[in-house]
Amino acid sequence: MTTYPIDIKVNGEWKRAEVTARETLLDALRNRLRAFEVKDGCSQGDCGACTVILAGRAVNACLTLAVQANGKEITTLKGVGTSENPDPLQKSFVEHGAIQCGFCTPGVVVSAKALLEANPNPNREEIREGISGNLCRCTGYTQIVEAIEDAAAHGRRGVGEREDA
Amino acid sequence: MNDDRFDVIGRVTRRQDGHAMVTGRQLYSSDISLPNMLQARVLRSPYPHARIAAIDTSEAERLGAVCITPEDVPRVKYNERQVSVPAKTYRDRTVLPDKVRHVGQGVVAVAARTEALADRALDALDVEFESLPAVFDPHEAMRDGAPQLHDAVLLGETVLPIERNIACYREAVEGDVARGLEEADLVVENEFTTGRAYHGQLESKAVVCRPEADGGITVWATAQSIHNTRQLLGSLFDIPLSKINVQRVPIGGSFGSSIQMNSSVAVCVALALKAQKSVKLVLTREEDMYDHCKYPSNIHLTYGVKRDGTLTAGYLKTVVDIGGHNIQAYPLLGCMAGWFVSLYRLPHLKFEGTAVYTNKAPACAMQGYGNPQVTFAVESMMDTIAEELDIDPIDVRLKNYVGLGETFWGQGPTVRSVIRSCGVEEMLLKGKAMVGWEGRGSSTSKTGRFRRGIGVGRGFHTSGTGAPTPGEVIDYSTAMVKINEDGSVDCLTALMCHGGGTLDAGAKMVAEELGVPLDRVGISPSNTRSTGYDVCTHATRGVYCGGASLLRAAQDVKKILFDFASRIIDVNPDALKVRPDTSRGQGVVCLPGAPAKRITVAEVAKTAQIKGWGSIIAVVSHRQVNCPPCFVVNFVEVEVDTATGQIRPMRAVAAVDAGTVINPDLAAGQLEGGLCRGIGLALLEDTTYKPDTGELTCGGYLTDYKVYTAQDMPSLEDLSTFFADTYEPSGPFGAKGVGEAANNATAGAVANAIYNAVGIRLTEAPITPERVLSALTRDAEQLQQGR
Repeated sequence: MTTYPIDIKVNGEWKRAEVTARETLLDALRNRLRAFEVKDGCSQGDCGACTVILAGRAVNACLTLAVQANGKEITTLKGVGTSENPDPLQKSFVEHGAIQCGFCTPGVVVSAKALLEANPNPNREEIREGISGNLCRCTGYTQIVEAIEDAAAHGRRGVGEREDA
Repeated sequence: MNDDRFDVIGRVTRRQDGHAMVTGRQLYSSDISLPNMLQARVLRSPYPHARIAAIDTSEAERLGAVCITPEDVPRVKYNERQVSVPAKTYRDRTVLPDKVRHVGQGVVAVAARTEALADRALDALDVEFESLPAVFDPHEAMRDGAPQLHDAVLLGETVLPIERNIACYREAVEGDVARGLEEADLVVENEFTTGRAYHGQLESKAVVCRPEADGGITVWATAQSIHNTRQLLGSLFDIPLSKINVQRVPIGGSFGSSIQMNSSVAVCVALALKAQKSVKLVLTREEDMYDHCKYPSNIHLTYGVKRDGTLTAGYLKTVVDIGGHNIQAYPLLGCMAGWFVSLYRLPHLKFEGTAVYTNKAPACAMQGYGNPQVTFAVESMMDTIAEELDIDPIDVRLKNYVGLGETFWGQGPTVRSVIRSCGVEEMLLKGKAMVGWEGRGSSTSKTGRFRRGIGVGRGFHTSGTGAPTPGEVIDYSTAMVKINEDGSVDCLTALMCHGGGTLDAGAKMVAEELGVPLDRVGISPSNTRSTGYDVCTHATRGVYCGGASLLRAAQDVKKILFDFASRIIDVNPDALKVRPDTSRGQGVVCLPGAPAKRITVAEVAKTAQIKGWGSIIAVVSHRQVNCPPCFVVNFVEVEVDTATGQIRPMRAVAAVDAGTVINPDLAAGQLEGGLCRGIGLALLEDTTYKPDTGELTCGGYLTDYKVYTAQDMPSLEDLSTFFADTYEPSGPFGAKGVGEAANNATAGAVANAIYNAVGIRLTEAPITPERVLSALTRDAEQLQQGR
């Protein structure tokens, strides 16, 4: 099958992958670049587990063609923060018990990150709308919304980045 | 909620796997990637009922794919679920079938180097089906002349002929129902149904199998029981268990969806053994939806009741549409009897349950195992009784509920024990005040397009399936606890965490018992070769049963710790205590009142190692002899749009009596999640089938199988949770379960809230806008005719 080279900047690092014309960004990230933090929940754009930030916007990687990402910047959950230097959102999710099985978490945290970057001061309704593309079957969403609210408050205070995780 | 009796139990602590989850380092079965691994795909039946006339794999093999057909797999008949004792296990399936019994059933499997190649091989397969007449309704399936799905199955080792598609039947009788109904001042009767909801766990099922050089296999699978998976694979493929290693892998949501060894596991193993290469098989969402669903219910319920609200008799008759295979219908019917009998006292009772094969996806356990279905019917009826007798619905419940000191059946007629902790009254009364029950008004006082109503639902689940004597269901756990040479602790068990914090709860119990700071207690990776048997993480048993096994192992370890410490500091071991010293980050063994007689746990363990006394380690197999009820109460407020039939949940109070709560924030999360799924069962979720083709009407797409998003749930300020203040004497540190209880009472509460809003009793769940509108129209017509 014919493949095409694409260059994508994943979490700050340029990477090259050979992809087919029909290949989704999700398959390219998982199968070619081993970005297993991007989860595949339905491959149909329904569940949001594969959400990544592509050129500043949260998208379903399963509904994006890999070639569409050529030359662009992508943030996955690993780009939001690391164990050593977690984002306030990540800390807040752990502290609020906003994770149960964890499978939706990579998509939810990335959606929340995109939301807070666009709107650092969202109200509850905006938070609920901001993650409405992400299904979570475990939590009933309550603690997720609380965690995002708390992380946003943290961001406004401008502290937290250097606190102990 | 901090409990002064404990150092870590009942305190909010961070889950151990939390950081891996939020930083993308948590890997599930579908994330496992091995060198030279082949990707598998399965050809599935487009017919609901068909004989397989011919299979040609030559073209697929020419493309380089490894193929397996029904001819290539063991012919052993098995049941995916291994929880009942063998004599009570119905076996009706093989790894690949000779006849398909539902759309989506796997027939041939291929494995190739890439997913794209596997897809091409799949397209190249040539399978000829001989379509057979199919049946989708359980009542039709029981009629003479209906298409027969199975001629015979195995029950244990006995061949059991199947007649009229009845997979099994169960009955329970106490007293004389006819007499009980005669003694009643009021007899109420109604019929209730609930849908075949889909688990909708976010991770679609996946499995990886690696054949090993010694003829064995290593398996990573989406599974709730690694040991049952191992035992089944051993018997199917005739491999000694010592050569089968099933790894515990984090599970991306469960709700019962992997309570059995999923059919894809055996298919993947068969491919890997044939290819002699690692093989990975990940179900698509569509395949996953055709794999399993919740047991639906059709319940006919009759109660007799005295004028003062005292029940005199109850009679529940149910027909369960189990789909193409019998996974666990027999214990299900026993449990449905147990749920019915244990909710309210019945001097005379009768239960009749019939499980029927149809040409649909096989039903299996899904959060509650028949309990939300039964409780929906029972709780709806409690409100009907209250209405008829003009008694407050809460008072009817308080008058009749099975509580402290009474015998309950828990998991069915053979699992009886006495209730030793009960927070029902506390939860009903506190919830009543919180929700503003007195101000809810009656439906007759409500007018306008949008009408609000408040309803109550009460329920319970058992904590595990333990009985005073081992019965037809197996239930025990094995745990190992070890104090390391630096004073830290390893906990090893085959128990799973489905997300609710089960393993964290176990670690907290060990930390509490050993007086070691929680951050020094680790949960070890686990597989079948290094752990003793654990039946399954199901039946809300994780904390109560699995936790108890860890606690007992910790108690044994503590004895060794004190024995070694006594040798070093020269005191009687019986007088020693161990307490966490957070400033040193260590547990400290001490003699109370003697400051000189202190030694850290690390010093004891290191000394024991150096002096050759041995490791501080213990392994325990533990069986709980109770399965105490974790009671639950839900109050739900809904708004009914009488113009569209749309129902919106507006407000809820959810409470659980879980005994001592180990992880308060995670337990609250369980309540919130359970409520969400319970509302889904009440209002939204069902898998329906096209009558002409036997296909799912949603097509296997989440787009058309709606589940709630964050925007659909009551918002934070409108959702309250609380815990009853109880202590379960038989539980580890007084704990019971939460899990399934969380969604058992919800559908009933929602139906009662709708009644309170519009005065119409809706008995078919999901209560869709169409059903609401047609009920409203019917009601209006009757009203007009009445005039």
